[in-house]
Amino acid sequence: MALESSHVVADVVEVTEFPHLAQRYAIRGVPKTVINETVEFIGAVPESQFAEHVQRASSPAAS
Amino acid sequence: MAFLSGNDQNEIKRLFEQLSGNVQLIYFTQKESPLIIPGQECGSCKDTRLLLEEVAALSDKIQLEVHDFVAESEIAREHGIDRIPALVMTAEGVKGKLRYFGMPSGYEFSVLIGSLLDVSQGKSDLSEETVGILRDLDKDLHIQVFVTPT
Repeated sequence: MALESSHVVADVVEVTEFPHLAQRYAIRGVPKTVINETVEFIGAVPESQFAEHVQRASSPAAS
Repeated sequence: MAFLSGNDQNEIKRLFEQLSGNVQLIYFTQKESPLIIPGQECGSCKDTRLLLEEVAALSDKIQLEVHDFVAESEIAREHGIDRIPALVMTAEGVKGKLRYFGMPSGYEFSVLIGSLLDVSQGKSDLSEETVGILRDLDKDLHIQVFVTPT
């Protein structure tokens, strides 16, 4: 997704190396995805569902 | 000791034949010193650097830059790097930013190799619909995927 939009910064975070982030984002299962601190989900999801999460995070209501 | 066995190297070399353009790997680490300051040690920084050097050696199209997170804090800031080890992957045509924090080992290593192939193309293999959604974004998105080594 970061390849396609200059608005996207995509990070993969190895959480065992950054325990403070595990705590901050209450990570109890992986992979866990957090978008803009507003949308989060656990597990690998199909692309269309991921795209829905992206839309939700980018909607004016989510800020 | 090498991280990649001869078999791994051959397999990755074969995959790297699919690299379409040059890929830049911008790696942030800390100065390697025998002195360890408690609370500031970066356990996997050196291993990650060695692993990336092994990967970069497998193709002329992969260029690895290594930066000191502290001494070159301006470059780190430019890429929004606030922790190490950190890797930025980029190539011509890449619009956003793709980063990896921590050491890509186990399953994540194959994810890294896959990402390099995607980055080298400067475009994704996402559906038209998803690309459309991304094209219409008018807000910055920070997507973080948290993983553990497997």
